Amino acid sequence: MDFGFKISPSSAINLDKVDLGKFEELHKAEPDVYKCMACGSCSSTCPASRFSGMSVRKVILDLQRGREKEAVALMRNCMLCGKCTMVCPRGINTRHLILSICRIYMEDGK
Amino acid sequence: MKENIVIIGGGIAGLEAAGQLAALGYKPIIIEKSDHLGGHVAEWHRLFPDMTPARDVVGGLISRASGSNIFLNTEISFVNKLKDSYNIMLSNGISIITRIILVTTGFSVFEAARKEEYGYGVYDQVMTNRDLEHWFNTGKDKRVDNCAMNAVGFVHCVGSRDEKAKNPQCSKVCCITAIKQAIEIKQRFPEAMVYCFYMDLRMFGKKYEDFYINAQRDYGIRFIRGRVSEVSENIDGRVIVKAEDTLSGKPVKVTLDLLVLMAGMVCSQESTKVANMANLPVDSDGFLKSRDNVTAIIESPKEGVFYAGACTGPKTVPETLAEARAAALEVHLYIKSLE
Amino acid sequence: MRERFLTGYNDFVLPFVCGMLFVLIYCLVGLVRIIMQLPPQDRKKFFISLVTPKTMIKNIKDIFLKCLIHVDLWKRNRLLGYMHSSIAFGWFMLILVGHIEVLLYTSHLGAKALYYPIFFRYFVAETESTMKGALIFFLMDFFLLVVLSGIALAIIKRVRSRFFGMRRTTNPSFLDLIGLYSLWSIFPLRLLAESFTADISGGSFLTKSLNYVFTEFLSNHANMLPAWWAYSCALGIFFFVLPFTRYMHIPTEILLIPLRNAGIRIVNARKGFAKAQVYSCPSCGLCIDACPMGVLKGNLKDTTVYLNRQIRRNNEARIEEISDKCLLCGKCTAVCPVGVEGDKLRIAQRSMRRYNFGPDYSNISAKEEIARCNKFVNSENSNVSSAVNEKVLYFAGCMTALTPVIMKTTGSILEKAGVDYTVMDRDGGICCGRPMLMAGRFAQARQLVEKNTEIILGSGAGTLLLSCPICYKIFREKYSLPGIKIVHHTEYFERLIREGRLKVHRDGTRYVFHDPCELGRGCGIYEPPRNVISCAGELVEAAKNRKESICCGGSLGSLTLGFDKRKAMTENAVSNLTAASPDRIVTACPLCLNTFSRYSDRPVEDIAQVLDRNSSPADITGNNKRQKTIS
Repeated sequence: MDFGFKISPSSAINLDKVDLGKFEELHKAEPDVYKCMACGSCSSTCPASRFSGMSVRKVILDLQRGREKEAVALMRNCMLCGKCTMVCPRGINTRHLILSICRIYMEDGK
Repeated sequence: MKENIVIIGGGIAGLEAAGQLAALGYKPIIIEKSDHLGGHVAEWHRLFPDMTPARDVVGGLISRASGSNIFLNTEISFVNKLKDSYNIMLSNGISIITRIILVTTGFSVFEAARKEEYGYGVYDQVMTNRDLEHWFNTGKDKRVDNCAMNAVGFVHCVGSRDEKAKNPQCSKVCCITAIKQAIEIKQRFPEAMVYCFYMDLRMFGKKYEDFYINAQRDYGIRFIRGRVSEVSENIDGRVIVKAEDTLSGKPVKVTLDLLVLMAGMVCSQESTKVANMANLPVDSDGFLKSRDNVTAIIESPKEGVFYAGACTGPKTVPETLAEARAAALEVHLYIKSLE
Repeated sequence: MRERFLTGYNDFVLPFVCGMLFVLIYCLVGLVRIIMQLPPQDRKKFFISLVTPKTMIKNIKDIFLKCLIHVDLWKRNRLLGYMHSSIAFGWFMLILVGHIEVLLYTSHLGAKALYYPIFFRYFVAETESTMKGALIFFLMDFFLLVVLSGIALAIIKRVRSRFFGMRRTTNPSFLDLIGLYSLWSIFPLRLLAESFTADISGGSFLTKSLNYVFTEFLSNHANMLPAWWAYSCALGIFFFVLPFTRYMHIPTEILLIPLRNAGIRIVNARKGFAKAQVYSCPSCGLCIDACPMGVLKGNLKDTTVYLNRQIRRNNEARIEEISDKCLLCGKCTAVCPVGVEGDKLRIAQRSMRRYNFGPDYSNISAKEEIARCNKFVNSENSNVSSAVNEKVLYFAGCMTALTPVIMKTTGSILEKAGVDYTVMDRDGGICCGRPMLMAGRFAQARQLVEKNTEIILGSGAGTLLLSCPICYKIFREKYSLPGIKIVHHTEYFERLIREGRLKVHRDGTRYVFHDPCELGRGCGIYEPPRNVISCAGELVEAAKNRKESICCGGSLGSLTLGFDKRKAMTENAVSNLTAASPDRIVTACPLCLNTFSRYSDRPVEDIAQVLDRNSSPADITGNNKRQKTIS
């Protein structure tokens, strides 16, 4: 049935309903993931950000907020070049983090 | 009173402590490695948040400390621990026996060239906060003279909060210094577009927030929350800065006539040298370790050795002065307890 | 010689015969399995190489020099070389001469052929005609002595490895120890057994003399049988445990050499060539001292020798840990006496990993990228001779964006030399694919290679210039760029100097050159950077250099090694470089530059900085009026 409008789901993030099981798994694989202070160095240096908007900062944040599908979509063009690891002021091993995400999460965000 | 008090470092902490000790009737000895007193502050132009001329502050401190024995261009060759005192050998051949050492060796400005990606020393139009103060003082710097000064950028946290630069700690004063310098640039070049690239703005001190509001409202300085990751050079010598505007989640790129790096504070080599000679512990951040970081920040774990100022960590001018006064009093009480 | 027994048999040969048959069958099955595991085209290549005279000769030569004489070990460490070659070559000669002896003096061998060459002396008695055999007796005793001297050294090495210049050796497993002790006991027991029999069967300086000693207090010949039993048992035990110990390397290496000579590479992480490599590891432990991670004790068990051991045990958790941690500097491969490729083996392990999703670059348009870089500086400049006016495409690489000084000084040098160049990735390009390859994600790496190939071929350049050895290696090995020369900037600078296109002035600065892993061991470029530096100043060498250079610790090869774990490695590498107290450290890799300058006590520079500071344009007519223009 078409009412002429769509009921869109709330855009607010309900932290009560976010399932962080996989994030805990990720945290185990790369314990430094919580050290991110969202400075954006990784995003601005990333050669892939030009093509897919790749941003490790955003991916970490999205995953913590349960927006797994969006996070995975961002990683589409990552070339694993390691620049983000080199610039991270907190010394997070972002390359290993990215590989761990590819291993733990699914493409459809499940 | 004939008790020898050795103050290592003639910066503002050393001067203030010497002034206070002189007022208490002592005649302290100041050992300064450079040819002038006042340390880093003497090279500064104006001090936040009241825009006090640094020259006046340092001048006042020097005149109050003038009763001390001052050795300029003098370094410490070695320190010997005797039974209940220290034997300090100076580079000019004088040796001093003392029971009290006040370490006021301060900090060093982080070497901005070590953050290679910012191109300090590589690109023509990149300078540090210290270079800018030098220009404020002298009016001479070809980096400023050579360009139109239409767009100026400040990069916060250069060598601070940065494991890669071996300085995980916050340098505390750069946020407010950047705002002060941005305002000063804006005062001289009202048409210029001024950007501040920051990770977090830490406006903790008295009147700092007012200063920040000033910068936003009255001077229209643009604050971009994102750490600069790369700097490249244009054909005409201007610099292109790449950062992420983390608030909008988009990468930003801007061409600037001048890029100012807010180099942070690191423990000075002098402090480390003194710490090695006098067997003082060094903390994980590279600065000297106090007996206690809450109640006894001016006391070292060693009997008769005291600290004041930025040798124990980044500090603002008022904090340093307050510590120096406290240290002077502590020294006085210590001498009393010895009698 | 005449045979003493009609049957030519005694029960004591059984342990040996069983062990021998067991190990032969085991090796045969293993051989067939490995060959069957090779991809069909590799298998074909292998068989062809076996019958090609050239590779045939090479195989025989390599097997003789490597398996028996251990030339590689001799070059590294003479004592170690003697120890290994005395055991291997001596034993081989004992077997060979033993067979000759048997063939000379017996007929109608039959089943006896299995054990006669080993226990010949028990079964024969010396006759008048043996003078002919004096040489053989002497040879047998001589080679036995050679082996015994090797065994003696091996025992010393086990107790005091420092005596051999080795700081650390492997921790043997339980079965390794059984194999080791049985191997040690084989030859003394053989000496004992042959000495007991020497008055009957004949012998030479060693066995005969010992026999005189023995007969002094043990005149009864009944004593000889237990000695022969013990000898046979030692052999039997050794053969039975051999497949499960490091001694499996002895038969496997004979297969590995022809496989390698056939040009076969690792395809499957556990099968075929990889398997041959894993079983060829003799657990000598040379890789332990070589590994740059060894400065931290916790990493000692993550070296290649332990990787091989864990692969043999199928310990998946440890295999993953070891292969992910490695910096892939390739030093273990460089020092390995049997040629186990520790780095490639690890990359292969990584490639087995299953990911739920992976990147995909089909959305990236190569056309736009070509448009971004297709701007040569002096394209219209016709007053430069055509040979000089080649179009150079400079691919600085991702890492170089973080060390802009390399890009700037390289650009400055190119301008001084009047090179027509353009920068491919001034605004960030597409990664070369090497980091992806190192992570074992081959399909993704291939996609990146294809994108870059399209851009480079579309640019119209004749030379591709690279600053980053990480890029350089993959461009040389995995890219197919017909008509385009691929050069690293060290090589290109050397050429510019040689061709007189740059005037270089020398000063008294002392430089030390750090060989980046990917440039030195990876691509074999050792001389060009040294030649360039020698033109600009005095070159001193690091304590360990060239093939043995120590990784800076910043390598992208490691997936799991955190930033805080690398400091000790960098400091160790710096202290290696500063052994000859140079004024400046020079390298030719942006990653090494970045890593070293963090912990070095003296200036660290790229070779481009050194050359830029010490060079000026050569005065070629028509060339010196060039304007400073960069697009």
